[in-house]
Amino acid sequence: MKNAPCPNRRAAVAVLAAGVLIALSACSGDDESSAEDATLEVWTRSNAEAAASYQLVFDAFTEETGIEIDYQPVQEFDTQLQARAGQGDLPDVLINDASSLGNYVAQGFVLPIDRESIEGHDEISDETWEQNLGTDGAYYGVPWSRQANITFIRKDWREELGYDVPTTWEELSALAEAFATEDPNGSGEDDTYGMVVPGSAQAGYIARWGNSYLWQAGAEILEDNGDGTFTSAINSPEAAEAMGWIRDQFCTPGIVVPGSVNLTTAETPFFGEGTAGIYLTGPYNISTFDLAVGQENVEIIPMPAGPASSTTFAEGETIYFGASSEKEDLQKQLAEFLISPDAQEIAMQVVETDSGMTTQPVVRLPVNQNVDIVEVTGDERWGIVQDSYIADSKPFPWSIDFLPFRQILADGMNAMASDCNSDIEAGLAAIDEQFQAQLESQDLS
Amino acid sequence: MTTPATDAAGTRPVSEPLRSVPGRPGRGRRPRWGGRRALIPWLFLVPGLILALTFKFIPMIEGFRMSVFEVRPFLGDIFVGFDNYAAVLGDSRFQDAFRHTIFLAVVQTTGALVLGALLALLLEGQTRRLWLVRTGVFLPVVTAIAVVGEIWRILYFPTEAGFINSVLTTLGLPAQQFLSDPNTALWWVAVVGIWTAAPYNMVIILAGLTGVNRELYESAAVDGANTLQRLRSIVLPALRPAVSVVLTLAAIRSLRMFTEIYVLTGGGPAGSTEVWMTRVYSLGFNSNDLGVASAASVLLLITTLALTIGVRVLTSRKESR
Repeated sequence: MKNAPCPNRRAAVAVLAAGVLIALSACSGDDESSAEDATLEVWTRSNAEAAASYQLVFDAFTEETGIEIDYQPVQEFDTQLQARAGQGDLPDVLINDASSLGNYVAQGFVLPIDRESIEGHDEISDETWEQNLGTDGAYYGVPWSRQANITFIRKDWREELGYDVPTTWEELSALAEAFATEDPNGSGEDDTYGMVVPGSAQAGYIARWGNSYLWQAGAEILEDNGDGTFTSAINSPEAAEAMGWIRDQFCTPGIVVPGSVNLTTAETPFFGEGTAGIYLTGPYNISTFDLAVGQENVEIIPMPAGPASSTTFAEGETIYFGASSEKEDLQKQLAEFLISPDAQEIAMQVVETDSGMTTQPVVRLPVNQNVDIVEVTGDERWGIVQDSYIADSKPFPWSIDFLPFRQILADGMNAMASDCNSDIEAGLAAIDEQFQAQLESQDLS
Repeated sequence: MTTPATDAAGTRPVSEPLRSVPGRPGRGRRPRWGGRRALIPWLFLVPGLILALTFKFIPMIEGFRMSVFEVRPFLGDIFVGFDNYAAVLGDSRFQDAFRHTIFLAVVQTTGALVLGALLALLLEGQTRRLWLVRTGVFLPVVTAIAVVGEIWRILYFPTEAGFINSVLTTLGLPAQQFLSDPNTALWWVAVVGIWTAAPYNMVIILAGLTGVNRELYESAAVDGANTLQRLRSIVLPALRPAVSVVLTLAAIRSLRMFTEIYVLTGGGPAGSTEVWMTRVYSLGFNSNDLGVASAASVLLLITTLALTIGVRVLTSRKESR
């Protein structure tokens, strides 16, 4: 009788323990991957169309090297990455925004690399490589794709109304107003607008849209002192001029789609829907817009110039090596393959997959200098993107954690654009003050 | 393990079934079954407990822990004491967000209570037609909040082509900027909140109304009381318990409001509709500052707890009077 009561409890405990084990093992992901030497876990921040494009490249890599890729397209990339970091088990390779470099380095997520040891490193320009320098002077990750924001115009509307391609802010503004008021689609109704603007401060959207105009007026956001420190440069007459022009666009009815101060890119389908005719955005939208309103109607123009220049915002993607991975050799092999002309070309093409999905190119401008984008895509418009990028483009500083600065800038710009009587000088001074506090907290001042 | 003497006397407490098994007088036919039976409810509870533990209590404890650390998931967290709390309380954006949250809590709760009560009084009754109308009116409550937000965003389109504006201009009223105007955006957000919450209040108040003794109405009619007097002397006192439930729920809901704002405005324009939870989200996931975001969440939890206990204490005191 002594043991009689126990089996019941044991059974209960066993059931409980089994439950806990199942729950825990569901969370732990595949810890085994480090044991299987010939597999690389690769993460990208991609939707289904972009993921299909990546899959084609990785298939080609596996075919060439025999190295298997465990590919995970992750939309909530940074949130998921934090979760994996908490377990101390990062993906072997991460392909994500080049601008995340400072953030990832600060968090210890990525490994430094020896540029010279990467085969094919000399096919990438020095300027491109230097964008991958951390504040400590080491290179982090290998460049994979670059892009410059460009201005899309509804060509048929512009020609219908008899306007030339705008070359200045004034002409751009006049064209936008004409799109809103002169019935470019001939519907007889007042149903079109000028510019599409993701003007919400959420995730920094308005800053990503508007910083090109800041630079075009000759303004700066942060000044790099060259010694690992930065100075806030936002409180300037040039920035005030740009902000004044931006606010005018928001405050002239029709030039900007109404309600834009609250919109993110997910909520601005107007160009594709045929209700607005001008959109300053990334060139990855070319294929989407072609499908939506017809390739012949989607025009890409060289940046209309501001008072100082026609600088445009540059972004890119980088191949980062996860810090917890012990497969340095495989990481390098994948990076070397990805920057080769073959891989870059595969990732630039728009093709239909077996499942009927049209891929979205994940290499926008090739980092490999031996790849000619116009030849590969057969599309002259990509040549304009490339010219813009090479001639006059500028990224946010990638070596520091720029996210908090972008958020401060976006909050300030959104506030000034929302109120047609806003005090722009005071608004810029407020951004400046927050920039200085942020620089101090990041030990950058 | 020995059998306790109390078992033999049959004084075993119910919560200790296992001990009693061997010597229970009278019911000894299946001696071990009684013990198992007591375990069965717990076995049924196990999945729920594991889920609650994994997805609720462990994350909650983790949130408390993170609130006193500078969170660096890969390099290891750094203990910072109450610095994160100081950062939250000293941040002017959090102070603004707090004011907006309180504004919405007061305006929405009052608005939804008044509208809910009006709807309940209008739709009280037994006929089939009313049942149909009540179901229709209740729809906003069962619709996903993200969908509600998206629909209202379209309704609020700030030109004359927008739905509500086209109605306004037909009536000869000027078109509104709605969510685009930093001075009025918060009010329009509150309208959506009232529209969503009122039907829920209506149902609770309807339940309260059915509990009113009909004879009271009859006696009041005999005494010559008019509608207003009946409302004040019979209906309102009878509704007090229902209203206290509605108030507690509405206050809690308003404090942790997130989805409507996120979908409608994202906290803009110019931060004019930012509330506590959207600020927490933006700090945690846009600026990667999980420590401060956790501290802000803990503060919200404490506020909610204090508020709930406060309301319970107040109403129970009133009821016991």
